[in-house]
Amino acid sequence: MNIFVERYKQMGEHPDFVKLRKVIRVNTRKITAEALKERLEKKEVIMERIPFLDNAFWVKAKFNLVSSPEYLLGLFYFQEAAAQIAVEVLKPKGLALDCCAAPGGKTTQMAERCDVIAIENRADRFPALENNIERLGLRNIIAYQMDFREVQKKFDYILLDAPCSGNYMLEENWMQRNSLKRIEERSNLQKELIAHAVSLLNKDGVLVYSTCSLEPEEDEFVMQFALENFPVKLEKIECIGDKGLTEIFGKKLDPSMKHCRRLWPHKTNTIGFFLARLRKC
Amino acid sequence: MLRDFVAKFTQKPIPFVKQGNKFYLENKSLEKEKLKQKEKVFGLYLGEEKEGAFHPAFGLLDWLSENSTEKVFVKDIGEMDFLYGKTLRARHIDHVDGETKIGFLKLVQNMNDENLGYGKITGDFSTTGQVLKPRMDRGLFLKREKKKESAGQDF
Repeated sequence: MNIFVERYKQMGEHPDFVKLRKVIRVNTRKITAEALKERLEKKEVIMERIPFLDNAFWVKAKFNLVSSPEYLLGLFYFQEAAAQIAVEVLKPKGLALDCCAAPGGKTTQMAERCDVIAIENRADRFPALENNIERLGLRNIIAYQMDFREVQKKFDYILLDAPCSGNYMLEENWMQRNSLKRIEERSNLQKELIAHAVSLLNKDGVLVYSTCSLEPEEDEFVMQFALENFPVKLEKIECIGDKGLTEIFGKKLDPSMKHCRRLWPHKTNTIGFFLARLRKC
Repeated sequence: MLRDFVAKFTQKPIPFVKQGNKFYLENKSLEKEKLKQKEKVFGLYLGEEKEGAFHPAFGLLDWLSENSTEKVFVKDIGEMDFLYGKTLRARHIDHVDGETKIGFLKLVQNMNDENLGYGKITGDFSTTGQVLKPRMDRGLFLKREKKKESAGQDF
């Protein structure tokens, strides 16, 4: 049995692949959800409101929506449902920091609610971020190509959608191509990133940590590291998904880990995802 | 250069800041949030100077849409043609606001008054022939994405 399947079994899960439905997020800076729905339905696009998100639809079209005038006008953004939850959980106001921004789904989602400082280190990913900001016509984003660990400014709201190993829904043969060594390497990087992100939070500030990994080393163990080393507490999240793990692989974790959310594809019909909301004490 | 381009559409002054060869819409509240490092995007991107010429961005065309009446309104049948870089014919046009003389630049709007790009008048709107040649259209976003599927879904 594959090592990852064995590990999921230990978490009480028997994951299976699910067919993901295409999701769009409405750019509410340009159009309302109702108006976009009416407009695309006239073009025979089937639009189904996603009940657990603010401004998103499952869509089905007979043509490629990417070449539609509505897409080119920046009226919507293709963004998987689970990935949209992070910003809704953060609920940013005023000014927020997006630590790992490209290609810009969460950055532009945040910019519908507040001004955004967006950081992206990878030169090859930066043009996608610029292109999406321009297409959506957003006026309140400052973007930097730099290592997030060089940021020194303090914030009340921070989103750390950390680089991760991904999950089996995102990559063909993911289970064969990944190893525990790689997971451990990612985990070490994530601990470095969360340490810096917490240092940038004002007192009472909120940080949402998310990954599209289902591996505890990249999720609950990173949160455990944060709880043990920094003045932060986990806050309850109201969204779809299972509670975070409080005990796994023989390790007992902080009981507040249950406030985190774990999205298993076979249960939520989304990609695999993990979310945690931290407040600085 | 930015001002010269804007003057072709409106006499209203545009508040802007220039950073290197790039222009952005002035935004004083955003200005105070900057980090000490040099940013690559600052709010609404208006365009840039390159090799002695000004290259407008869609942010500028959106600003002009709100501040200029030099517009050509395209019927639904002409919208896709324009976005695919085709020259518009008189039958594609619903109506024209402002100047109609050959050689003038016009913002190209759909029937919701959303900006699709801009072009140059090449013919008489009262005839059936070609009337407006695209200079820049929002189909450019597709060309920038290496392949269409790359825009498929963001995780």
